[in-house]
Amino acid sequence: MSALKCVKCGVELKPKKTMFEYLGNTFSHEVPVCPECGEAYIPQELAEGRMREVEEQLEDK
Amino acid sequence: MSVAVKPGAPLRVASRTRSVCPVCLAAVDARIVTDGENYWLRKSCAEHGAFSAIVWRGGGEFADWWLPTPKPTVPRDCPADCADCGEHPQGTCCALVEVTPRCNLRCPVCFADAGDGAAEPTLGELEREFRSLAENGNTFVQLSGGEPTVRDDLPEIVALARVCGMETVQINSNGLRLAREPDFAAKLADAGADFIFMQFDGTRPDIYEKLRGADVLADKLRAVEVCARLKLGVTLVPTVVPGVNDDDVGGIIDFALSNSPAVRGVHFQPVSYFGRNIAAPEDGDRITLPEVLRKIEEQTAGKLKIRDFVPSGCDHPRCGFHGDFVVLPRGGLIKLTKKYDPQAPCCGDAHLKNRNFVSRRWKRAEDADAPSDDADFTELESFASRVRTHGFTITAMAFQDAWTLDRDRLARCSLHVAKNGRTVPFCAKYLTAQC
Repeated sequence: MSALKCVKCGVELKPKKTMFEYLGNTFSHEVPVCPECGEAYIPQELAEGRMREVEEQLEDK
Repeated sequence: MSVAVKPGAPLRVASRTRSVCPVCLAAVDARIVTDGENYWLRKSCAEHGAFSAIVWRGGGEFADWWLPTPKPTVPRDCPADCADCGEHPQGTCCALVEVTPRCNLRCPVCFADAGDGAAEPTLGELEREFRSLAENGNTFVQLSGGEPTVRDDLPEIVALARVCGMETVQINSNGLRLAREPDFAAKLADAGADFIFMQFDGTRPDIYEKLRGADVLADKLRAVEVCARLKLGVTLVPTVVPGVNDDDVGGIIDFALSNSPAVRGVHFQPVSYFGRNIAAPEDGDRITLPEVLRKIEEQTAGKLKIRDFVPSGCDHPRCGFHGDFVVLPRGGLIKLTKKYDPQAPCCGDAHLKNRNFVSRRWKRAEDADAPSDDADFTELESFASRVRTHGFTITAMAFQDAWTLDRDRLARCSLHVAKNGRTVPFCAKYLTAQC
């Protein structure tokens, strides 16, 4: 896969451990991030994989 | 015989409902009155007089539990001849099937009447029950009694439930036979039992002597060990009785947490008065849900707070509470409980969500690639693993008896007893009149 670039800044995204809020909880995960503007990219496999799994686990009663 | 209605501070009516006369079980009008802190269910029977029972001791911090909920439309004589009136807004989360009336204990606080002379259902009858449940989409079964493990063919019954389509098989048990015959427990696990709902009233012998008539603490501890080895999930189920074990609420939680992931949670049941408990109870004989929550907070050294718990979303909000957690290495906790949303639909698929939730949390789950104890559990991968293997719940259910029965709560029940192809709410099934 070719390197991902930030649409806004045009620079290559770099992997970075990133904190994010999801379903009321705070998690961290290494995702591609623009070193200029800080925009993070959530890969499809992450959204449909681990994040969906966590979402299922957090489904309350 | 009537119970005197106690005089008190100025009261207002919090809600109106229907109930039963605790003597003749005739359906009667009832009202819940409050002084702002305490709530009593009051009613009168033309023949047997006036009755009052405390149902709630808790003020403003428990306001969520009193937010308006939809009024059900059920027959006026409910729960007389209760059986699938079709008016209940709630489906079946969990179906309880009695496999025997026999028991190897004789507890004064048991909901079942332990009628040793009653007949046990045959395997054929149980098969018909399981198939009927499955046909109606009810695939979460609790095998109950009596004490189910007194049946030597319980492993066959578990396997039968599986064959008939039960996706989750829970066994309600006092744990004695599991402790004393680990091979029998292994057969249950091999047959497809998912978890044990284990009567566990405390961490001291005197509690069992009072509630169960014998010191069976060593058996309880042994049963937890046996189930841990077999990867059979265990949820501890204390009956909470004022003055007996309400000072051990924190002790039970500490024991459960220290035995995670073998122990999947604690399910508190404030004592109710049915089955063999048919003398008229005083208000002091009762402990209500807010009091259980306060004791959880007081007795866990700040680890757990009342705000970590929310009303039941599957049943009526005043029928129970739940808290959802992940147990971390060295005793830490991640708190997952979502804020209570009284507008969330109580009907529709709420019972299915609850079924999925408890199945997920109460079954053991393994992860061959589990992160080390030093992992960062806020990291998505580590969290995803840990929540599966070390999810932990603290829940409660306040069963209703002939004095406290509130039809609005009954109509929201999702714990149903299955018999002869029909399902009825738990508290209607076990309702017993005062002698």
